[in-house]
Order: sequence, then structure tokens, then C-alpha cells
Amino acid sequence: MTSAIRYQQALAHLPDGIEPARREDELSRAALLAQYHPDNDSRACARLDMGSSRGQACHAGLAPLLQGNALIDGLDLAGAEQRHTDVLVIGGGGAGAAAALTAARSSGVQVLLASKLRLGDSNTVMAEGGIQAALAAADSPQQHFDDAMRGGHDGSDPRLLADMVNDAPATIRWLIELGMHFDLTDSSVDGGQLSYKQGGGCSQPRILSYRDYTGLEMMRVLRETVELDPAIQLLNRCPAVELLSHEDGSCAGAVLYDLEYQRFVVINARQTILATGGCGRLHLQGFPTSNHYGATADGLVLAYRLGAQLRDLDAFQYHPTGLAWPQRMAGGLISEAARSCGAWLLNGLGERFVDELAPRDVVTAAILRECAAGRGIRREQQTGVFLDVRHLARSWPQGLASRLPALQHLADKCAIDPTQEPLLVYPTLHYQNGGVVIDSNGQSTVPGLLCAGEITGGIHGRNRLMGNALLDMLVFGRRAGRQAARLAQAAQSRSALPPPRGDIQHIYQWQRLRAQAGLSDEITAPQLYPGPARLALHSPARSKA
Amino acid sequence: MSETIHISIDGKLVEAQTSDSILQARLHGEDLVSANIGCMGQGVCGACRCLVRKQGERETQTRLACETVVEDGMQVSFIDYYQPAHLHRYRPQDLRDGWQAISQLRQIFPESQHCRHCGGCDRACPRGIQVQQGIALASQGQLQAAAALFDACIMCNLCTLACPENIRPNHVGLYLRRAQAAQTQRPGDLLRRLEQVESGAMTVVPTGTRTRSQS
Repeated sequence: MTSAIRYQQALAHLPDGIEPARREDELSRAALLAQYHPDNDSRACARLDMGSSRGQACHAGLAPLLQGNALIDGLDLAGAEQRHTDVLVIGGGGAGAAAALTAARSSGVQVLLASKLRLGDSNTVMAEGGIQAALAAADSPQQHFDDAMRGGHDGSDPRLLADMVNDAPATIRWLIELGMHFDLTDSSVDGGQLSYKQGGGCSQPRILSYRDYTGLEMMRVLRETVELDPAIQLLNRCPAVELLSHEDGSCAGAVLYDLEYQRFVVINARQTILATGGCGRLHLQGFPTSNHYGATADGLVLAYRLGAQLRDLDAFQYHPTGLAWPQRMAGGLISEAARSCGAWLLNGLGERFVDELAPRDVVTAAILRECAAGRGIRREQQTGVFLDVRHLARSWPQGLASRLPALQHLADKCAIDPTQEPLLVYPTLHYQNGGVVIDSNGQSTVPGLLCAGEITGGIHGRNRLMGNALLDMLVFGRRAGRQAARLAQAAQSRSALPPPRGDIQHIYQWQRLRAQAGLSDEITAPQLYPGPARLALHSPARSKA
Repeated sequence: MSETIHISIDGKLVEAQTSDSILQARLHGEDLVSANIGCMGQGVCGACRCLVRKQGERETQTRLACETVVEDGMQVSFIDYYQPAHLHRYRPQDLRDGWQAISQLRQIFPESQHCRHCGGCDRACPRGIQVQQGIALASQGQLQAAAALFDACIMCNLCTLACPENIRPNHVGLYLRRAQAAQTQRPGDLLRRLEQVESGAMTVVPTGTRTRSQS
């Protein structure tokens, strides 16, 4: 274990009442990232040995799952209930809800939304910061585009990024029509003056928010709208365990496992939209995570096995300010809103060591550098740096809770008074920058399979800016929903019969590829739930049958 | 520091550390956890709602397991989610016109007039929201004031479970908040930008290299 400064000693180093001195940068940004960003750690780097993105760089913690074996075989489907729908949406977060709502608006299109936990249990509901949209007079979609492109180290697919920034105003309008609130600086002027927050890596304040629980406000509105929509059938607690394929390799729906009845359900669909999110709960490189319980890369694994191309799965985002103490809250997020309001990051010597509003990857690397250099702070078994908001609390007459209620709520749960004592923070695995390759309609490289949200890659390049995840998942959720409905309607007009049944022949092909690649491990995927316990898909009764 | 204690979760004895949350204690067990779990401590998803009875106490309380620290001898039962047979259906377009708001509320949520002031909803709420007051204001037609009370609601549905009159208070609150947003928010910035994008006056040149600059 590297050395660190003890908590009590670090408290004594804190400057009081004055702005702390900033430590000289010893490294350029590029060198800082190369040396300290977790993506560049040798334990992270691997390549895919098989599949449609064979040879591509991929995180070493993820590659074995992407190349893993299926959870089921043909026997499981014998006698399973067969159902059909026009559009199947898998995933109950914001992207899935947006896709389902949009698809269901097309006349005559049946939509089925399947969720592993409950509709709404997702990273969306946890998002605190906000959503970017270039609305201010001095701002423009072009500046939004430029900021995101630069923040992503020029790794974005320009077409997808342009779609995202162009759709932003219409997406905000859609949210307001559904009944979502946004913070206003003055509700009596100009139809309500929107409040814009500054985000790291942004040329100007552009982030719309609702207090510091923007995601909660968004998700409760989306969930209610989905639940009340008669054209959407909702299946909670039904994780997808495999996709279905036709002989030509196109997607034909999915196999779900119904936890309530403990049986498989086969959903034959004309179009399938994966919106299963990211993979924080895989705890890559042992990092804590800010992600919700279900973030285990399920959809990514299923899409890859069916032949979808992936990209940038060696680029992950570590949010700089995860809570480090107390241990029971480790990984929980302190929103960038705190830094955007002027909070300081301080090392154990009481020095600032980075521009707090630099892009997230830079701030994360700087925190890891401080800890590696022995300037971190240790409290009990936890190491980190200080996030100091004491000076902000002093300058806000209405108190901390009025501006940063989620931070206050979190501090209350830790029994810390942030106006008196700084919080201990450490980077936390936050976002999967890469994912399934899509086009402007959310279409993957597999016909019949669309993707939206964190599962996709290409929009944010190698690093996402604050406020662009909520935007991206709504923009592409809606685009995918629209496209899936269009294609389903076209298929309906060709044949009035229900969609043809799919099969799981692709998993036998996959097993041959595994053998050719020399993979003999017993790893099966998707993992479905974090931790060591696995869902028992096959009851002992089956061997008797 | 922390010591080992025991609590009971859904009738099973579980070991826990004194600083654990109930949810952590549950995750340390051997069983797969596939429900009543979501945001893992942020307290925003409402999935981990449970009944808690502390040792030596008669009363049970409703809590979020991710936010509640264990105590020796605690008894915990998680509360399943279900979709009630009758939902109060309305469409997004029903939110647009505010002139009939009071009669519309009574039409969509007729039970909202039937509160018997038992206080069950207030006791059930893990967020300390004045639920009963919200419903009282709503039934008096004080819709904006009622909506404001539900601002921090996480939709855990505990007040809905607690209500003997099937009022579904959190859904009334959300409906009022949604109507308020849909009817009042017309930001000038947004209207102007929508027009500029739709008319083609503001387009994006989607190239990466022109933005190349060392910041």
C-alpha cells in the first residue's frame, strides 16, 4: 500500500478562510493521462480474440464476458412460452423508456418493454448533474459539438455527435411536454429563464438541471408515462438471457427469464432495441462504482454474440469524486455540480492540485497521481483526497442544502457536516464510453437489432462530458424507437402474420468460434447480477424431465 | 470500530457489521439478490423499501434499506413491488390545458377527495414528505402548493400502500407536478433555438479535426 497522510494531520493542513495555493503541474495533460488514467494501466489492456470486432482493444475485465458462452441451450426453449410483439425494448432506464414511448406512438405498433429489475431502476434515476442543450443566445449546437468532440479526444463519430447536439432542443421540449421541470433563474421573465450550469470541459454554461436530482425528476416522469401508456406492455424482473436469430443472422427477439414464475419466455419481435446500459458493477480493476445494481454489461454481451460490432471498449470514465469514506458508501457519487459551483479538491498537504473543472479524465488522473505520490489522505482503511465546500457554504445565505441538496443528503447519511469538514473522495467507475456501433437511427450492424444509451459507442469518443449522457440516451432512444416502429410497420404491411419465430442457432456458431480461438474456459455470460451468487436458470427438475 | 452483530432479513438470520446499511448486510449473505435493489445507497430509486422493527420495540417503520444502518436484533422484511389492478390513466396530452385542472384532478383521481386523515402516508414516507397535507391541499384546489410538497418524492409507493382509501398520493403528486411543468414552462431561449434549428438557420459542421486544439 502506498503511503498517505493521516486524516487528522490532513485536517490540520487545511487552509482556513483563504483560497488554497495551487500546486505546479509537473506533467502535461497528455503525460498525466498516460501515466495515471486507469485505462492506461497494464491490467486494463487486452484484445478481443474472436467475434466481429476481433483484434480490437478491450478492457481485460470485460473481454472474457464478451467472449463467454451462452447461459442457455436449445433444450431450455423446448416448451417455453412463445410470445410476439412488434418492438421489443430491453432495459428499463431512460433510453429504454424513451424508445418504448416513441415506438408506441406509431399507430398499430405493439411494444413490449422488459426490465431486469423494475422499470426505472437504472443509472438514469441516479444522475445528478443535468442534461446539456445549447439553448443560450451566445451558445450554439456547433459549440456543443466542438466541446464534446474535444472532450472525447476527437474520438467521436461526427455524424452521431451532430445528431445528438441537433436534437437537444427538441428533446428538452419533449421532456417539458411530458411534465419534467427544469430549474429557472427567473420564472417571470421571457417565459421562464432557464438556469445554465457550467460543466467540466464546456466552453460555457450549458447544463440544464432540476436541483441536483435531475435524473430522478426525469425518470419518475418517464416511468409514469410508460406505465400509463396502453400500447406498452411491461415485464419487470425479466432479464434477457439470450437474443434470438433468424437463419440470415438478423435479430428475431430475445429469450427472457421470468423471475416470478422461474421460467423462460421467448419473445419473437420484428425489431429489438437493447437499452441495457453499462458495466460499472463489474468493478473493473477493482474500482468502486457509482453505477446501479444492474449495470453488468448484459446487452453488450448478447449483442456481440449475435455479431454486432463494438468500439472503444478500452475507454471508461472514472468520475473523479466518488465518496471514499465511510466505506459503506464508497463509490457513491458527489455530483460535478459541487465543483461546478466552485468546490476545491485538496490533497493531504492542503494544496489544490488540478483545475477542478478540467475534463473528468484529467481530474481523475490528477487525484490518482496525488494518491500514488503519497499526498493522499487516509481515513480508517479508505484513501482519497478532500472535496472542500466549506467556503461555498459560507457564501450562500440560504445554506448548502438549497444549492446542493443531494450533497447535503449524502453528507447527512455519512454523519458529516460539509460546512465544517471536507469530504473524502476517490475516483469511481462511472461510465462506459464505448459500446455497440450504431448509425443515426440507433441501428447496429445486425439487422433487426437497435441500441440506445450507455450500451452504444461512438457518441462520446473516449471521454464523455457531464450532461451528455442524459441527452444521448434520450436522443438515440427516441431515434431507435422511431426507426424500430417504422421497420415494424413496413414488415406488417408485407405480412399480416405475427413475426416469424427465431432460434438460437447463433450460439452454436459462437461455440465453434470459441473453439477456433482456443478458448476453453467455462465462463458464461451475461452475468445478470453482480457478486458471486448466480441466478439458477436451470432448476433440478429439468434433469428429471 | 465495527463489530459483528446479527439482524433478521425476511426471516433469515444474517451477520452484519455495525456500520453496514441493511442493504449491505443483505448483499453479504449467500443468496442472490434480484429484487428490492437499485441505486445502492443514493436513496433515489425506492426499490429497497422495507419494514424495520428494532429490538425491544413494538412499532414497525418503513425504511429504505440502503439508507438505514443496522442495529443488533433488527428485524427486516422487504416489501415487494406490484402493479395495482387499477391505474389512474391519463395521457401526456391531458396535461396541456390547465383551465380544467381542478375538475380534471377529481376525474382522474376521484379518491383524492376521500382522505380520512389517518396519517398513514406521512408515517410511511421515508423522505419525510407531508403527504397528507399535499392531498388536503389538492382536494381544496390548491394545486401548485400541493405539487410543491411532492418535489423530493422518489416514487417508492409506500404512501400508496399505506392508504386505506386507495388515493395513491405519490401519483397524485406527480400528476400535479407534471401538469404544472407542462403548462407553465415556455422558456424563450428554448423557443428561439427550436425555431433556429427547425428552419435550418443553425446547422452543425460535423468535423473533428477543426476542433483540434490543446487546451
